[in-house]
This record gives sequence, structure tokens and C-alpha cells, in this order.
Amino acid sequence: MQAIRRALSSETVSGWAFVLPSFALIALFGLIPIGWALLLSLQKSNLISPETPFVGLANYRALAHDPLFRETLGHMLIYTGLFVPISIVAALGVAVALNRSVWFIRLYRTAFFVPVVASTIATSIMFLWLFDKNFGLANFLLGKVGLGPFGFFDSPSNGALYSIVAVTVWGWIGFDVIIYLAALQGIPRELLEAAEIDGAGRWSTFRNVTVPLLGPATMLLIVWSSINAFQLFDEVYFITKGGPLNHTLVPVLYLFQLAFQQGIAGYAAAIAYVLFFFILLLTVVQFWVGNRVVHYSS
Amino acid sequence: MKRTWFLLSVVLGVVAAACTSSKGANPQSASPGGASSAQSASSGEVVNITLWHGYEAPAPGGPPNYEAISLKNLIDTFNATHPTIQVRDVFCCSNDFALQKLTVALQGDKQPDIAYEYGSSMPQLATTPKVVDLTQRVNDPSYAWDDFFPGERAVTTVDGKVLGIPALVDNLAIVYNQTLFDKVGLSYPSSDWTWDEFRAAAKALTVPAAKQFGWSFPADASEDTVWHYDAMLWEAGGDILTSDNKKAAFDSPAGLEALTALQEMAVTDKAVFVDLQNSGKADTLFNSGKIGMMVTGPWALPSYPDVKYGVQIMPSFPGGNHQTIAGPDNWVLFDNGPARVDAAWTFMKWFTAPEQVLADSLACGHLPTRASVGSMPGFASFGTKYPGVGAFVANLSNVLKARPQISTYPKISTAMGQAIVSVLLGQASPQEALSKAAQEVDTTLSIP
Repeated sequence: MQAIRRALSSETVSGWAFVLPSFALIALFGLIPIGWALLLSLQKSNLISPETPFVGLANYRALAHDPLFRETLGHMLIYTGLFVPISIVAALGVAVALNRSVWFIRLYRTAFFVPVVASTIATSIMFLWLFDKNFGLANFLLGKVGLGPFGFFDSPSNGALYSIVAVTVWGWIGFDVIIYLAALQGIPRELLEAAEIDGAGRWSTFRNVTVPLLGPATMLLIVWSSINAFQLFDEVYFITKGGPLNHTLVPVLYLFQLAFQQGIAGYAAAIAYVLFFFILLLTVVQFWVGNRVVHYSS
Repeated sequence: MKRTWFLLSVVLGVVAAACTSSKGANPQSASPGGASSAQSASSGEVVNITLWHGYEAPAPGGPPNYEAISLKNLIDTFNATHPTIQVRDVFCCSNDFALQKLTVALQGDKQPDIAYEYGSSMPQLATTPKVVDLTQRVNDPSYAWDDFFPGERAVTTVDGKVLGIPALVDNLAIVYNQTLFDKVGLSYPSSDWTWDEFRAAAKALTVPAAKQFGWSFPADASEDTVWHYDAMLWEAGGDILTSDNKKAAFDSPAGLEALTALQEMAVTDKAVFVDLQNSGKADTLFNSGKIGMMVTGPWALPSYPDVKYGVQIMPSFPGGNHQTIAGPDNWVLFDNGPARVDAAWTFMKWFTAPEQVLADSLACGHLPTRASVGSMPGFASFGTKYPGVGAFVANLSNVLKARPQISTYPKISTAMGQAIVSVLLGQASPQEALSKAAQEVDTTLSIP
């Protein structure tokens, strides 16, 4: 009796009681689908037919010879290579600019965050018209200064992908800015003062004190933005639908089209697992590098 | 270091969850209203059945949805006159997602008794034994199955089995801006127009300085792109696949003639608004007087309140005839036990009888799915009540062919869509594009 009561009041039990609701949800909507997707990737299935023959690794083998899948990986890498550095560097600049007390500062900070909470569908429709080749405001204004007209989403080359980069940087920069603002306000004042007393200029202080101290935040943003970039979907789904001529087709959109428009779900699940593996690999590499470059923990 | 690993595992958990949720059949989208009622009913008991549709109730204060009202009224009438069967209608989702919703419902054995589905979804639906084979039932002479248009019947049928009942039929015709035609002194499209005359008109209506285009073509390489081309292909005398569905047939002189016509208008004349995103822009531009002609269906007419428009059947190629393409949608029945299947069929038989089809057409402007409705006395008022739609009704008799109802069709459509868009963008010649697409299609079809 005593033993049971002691066991029940122990930290282990109460700890598990606290995490159980979250654990159940993650298991139901996370772990079970992950396991099921693995099974699916080894089958031939359209999600409708009860017949799901086991095909072993055939889906994965076919993937290795799918030129379109390789193309989507290329687009994903180009997109990530642009989106991650541009959004992080721009966010750092904005955060530094917003990290001061001027009039209406809260208004400016809010303004940068609005795109993050705005509906992607709404902003996509806005950009469709803004960047329209013939009728868009962007080409109108660029025309005023003698540039363009540009095709933007209509460009039958990487131009469409670059336009998607512009849209998503605009859409996500507010999130990065908030992280950097919090990190900037966590930098101890005495360190900045010490640098000043030692005779460091503003740039030197920023370069040698602020940026290194922002290391953990930058690390977080790089990892988070890269994962986000690998999973690009909403904007290409709503704006370009992968076009023109697959020039903005990325893996997640491709697997969506396969699973839900073409009824090739097993193959699509295999793509999801390959993508998962790429993200895992990238994240491990980023942490490995990060542990050698970032020296301060917040 | 410990922190790092904790963070890593959290990140991985999130990644994994996100990965699968964007891929998988997410359970949270399982919609309510599936199998909820009586499992079986002995005679005398009431059988409850559920019907899924895509007619959304209007927002409070918004304009009424006449399609939803018409459906509701008919179901109420049926329920009042058939006390042993009670039909409950459930708004499932936008029709674009009807197949996805049903996929999830089938996984959980919660399928409705009747669901509205696109004709193009039939081959995929045919792979589940839960779809009711209606072949024997529709062939009962009292049902007059032949009264439905051939193009509609073809789309309900997969491998010789009738798996659906025509729910809605549309077709493509020219919708033109009369004001723009008057401005350049062109006479309106006539019923004996050729594609050459169409091209000349499109060119005359194009004013680069005003950013005005003669025509618009959906170019997102989706099925919307492909079916616009299909109609032209058939008019030129071609076909999508060989009659045994074993090989591509569009890489033919007819296919080339149709695609070259598109190339000449889009690339040579630059008279076409090549709508690469195809997200409603073209309708807005036509309504703003920036596009002279559309090739579209009756569903688009409510989007053009600001334009004085006319409707004319599609042009023909020299020596060919005037055809069009229909995109019929179906009511599909699902097996929830014999009593409910019988009840669902009793309802469908009543619901798709000529009297009810006529009532629905008059109530909301749907084209009649049965040929005989057009000659019923009550139908005379349709043309005045729905101006413009009358031309689409007449055009139903120009629907002579249907797209192949095979499960690999989405892949065929994708290959053709890419070919058409590459020509519209001037990146490939019509012949190159057709050969490449035909090769891809042949590969797809050769896999058993």
C-alpha cells in the first residue's frame, strides 16, 4: 500500500501524467502516420482500392530513375540556397533597425509581422496581380524607371522560382525579425558598453560583439528556414501550380500531385521519405557545423 | 551538447509530422455525416440515406445559391412523397475536393450512400468494391438510360460497367464581348465559323498598346488546358488514344492541325492571353473588356456581369464538323448494405427522371442532363430565363466524344498539358511537342 502510494506520488508518474495528453496527440497525428507512410511507400496504392500489393523497394528504385523528381530536387536546392540567406540577412538588418526607440516603433514592428499571419491564399492572389506580366503594378513601376517588363511568374526559366523566393521572403521575414529582436534585447548592455569604452566603432561592435552573440538565434533560423524551404508548398500550389512547364515544381508539390491528383500514393510516400531523409541529413550537418562555429548559448 | 540533442529531436519530430501531414491521408479531414443511419431495414421501417454534394449554403446576407435551393427542394419533395426513405443532404466540400474527402471516408468505412463526383474520378473510384455497379438497374427500360447524352453515359462507364448517374453536364462554346466586336467593326461569330475566321477575329481584337487580347487560353498544363485542346483535336478529326486505349493517337495530322492553330494564334499573332497560372485572372480580364473571346462553359457566365456578351458554338476546321467537349459530373452510389443501396437507387431513379431534371434546370439554370427535357413543353421558358445558356443547351448535341475513362488518364493529361504549354510559350514546335508527349503516353500505357 505504502509502496503503491509512494510510486503514484513519485515524480516519474506525475511527469508522465503531464506529458501524456501531448504525447497521445503526437502519437496519433505524428508517429502513427509516419509509420503508416513507411508502409505505404512499400505498396502500390491509390488510397481508394482495398488492394495494396506489397512492392518492396520498387517505389524507391523508380524514384532513382525519375528525371522529374531530380528536377524538383534542383528547384528545391536553388530555392533554399536563395531563401535562407536572403531572408536571414534581411531580417537581421530590419531587426537592428527596429531595435531602437523611435516614434511608432511598435507600429513598424507590427507591420513587419503582418505578412506572417496573413492568409497565404490572400497574399498569393495579391502577388498574382502585383507581378502580372501585362497588368501588374510591379512592371508598371519598373517601366517608369526604364526596366522590364519582366515575366515574373510567367518566366519559362528560373525567373518564376526567383519570384517565388521574393514572395516567400516577404511572407516570412517578420518571423525572423521577431526572433532577432528578442535575441538583440537579450544582449547584455555591459558588453556593448565595454566595447565602446575599449574604443570600438559601431560597425566593429556590431561585427565583433552583436553578431557572435546572435549566433544561437542565427543557428535556429538557419535550421528552421532550411526545413521550411525544403517543404515549400503553399505558394507554388496557389500561384504557379508548379509551372510554367514545371519550372517551380518542388518535391512536396510533386508528391501532392502524384498522391491526390494521379492516384499514385505509394510512390508519393516514397518521395516523402526521401525528402525526410534529406532534411534529417541537412539538419545533422547544420548542427555539426553550428557546434563548431557558434560559441555562445543564450 | 545535451541541449542540442533535445532541440534536434524536437525539430525532427516537427519535421516528421509536417512531412507526413503534407503527404498522407490526414485523418483530421475525415468529415462527418457518413454512415450514420439505419444499417438495414426490414420492410416498413424507414431507411435513412445520406447524399454528399458541393452546393454550399450562401453566407448570411449573401446572394442565394439557386443550385443548393433546387437540390433541397427536390429532396424535400421526395422525402414527403416517400415516407419509407428519408434522404439527408450534406454539403461535403467544394467539388474539387470531393474525391479527396471520399478517399478518407472510404478508408474509415464512413462513405455516404450517394456522392457527387467528377467524371474524371470514375476510373479511380472503380478500384473500390464499395462503388455500386448500376449497369443492370439503368438498363431497365422504364429508366430510359439512352435519353442521357452519349457523352454523359460514356463518362459514367468504366470497363463496360455503369458506376454513376449523370449529375451535371457542361460544354465549351465561344463567349464573346459584343462591344469589342462592334468597336473594330467585326461581325459576331456565326455558327459556321472556321478556326481561320476565329484566328482573324482574335488578331483584329488584339490591341497591344491597350493590353487587350483577342482570346485567352488556360495554360497551367492542367486538365483545363488539355480539354480545351481535346475539343479542337476532335474537330480536326483526331483522337486522344487509339480505340483500344493502348496507344497515343494525338500525334497525328489532326493533332498537329489543332496544335498549330493554337501556336499561330498565341506565338505568331500574339493574340492570346496565355494564362499560365489559370487562377481566375482571365475571367476578370474578360469582364473588364481586356479579352475579346473566351472558350468556356455556362458556369463562367455569372462572372461577366459588366460585359454585353454573346454565345456561339465552337469553330470548325476545313472539312471538319463543329464539336465540343463535355465535362459531365456524376452521382455515385456506395454500398452500405442492400437496403440502403435499394433506397439510394429509388431516390436516384426519381431524382433523375425527366420531370425532376426539368424542374432543376428551370430552378437554377443547369443544362438538362436528358435529351428529352429539351423538347418538353415546360422547357420553352428556359432560354428567356437564362440568356446565353440556351446556346450551351443546343451545343449539347455537338458532344460526340468523351475522354478515355482509364485509371492512367491523369498521367496522359499531364503529358499532353506540358506539350500544349510548351508550344504556347514558343519553346517547342507543335510536332516536337506532340511526338514527345506521345512517347511519354505510350510508355505510361505500356506498363500493365
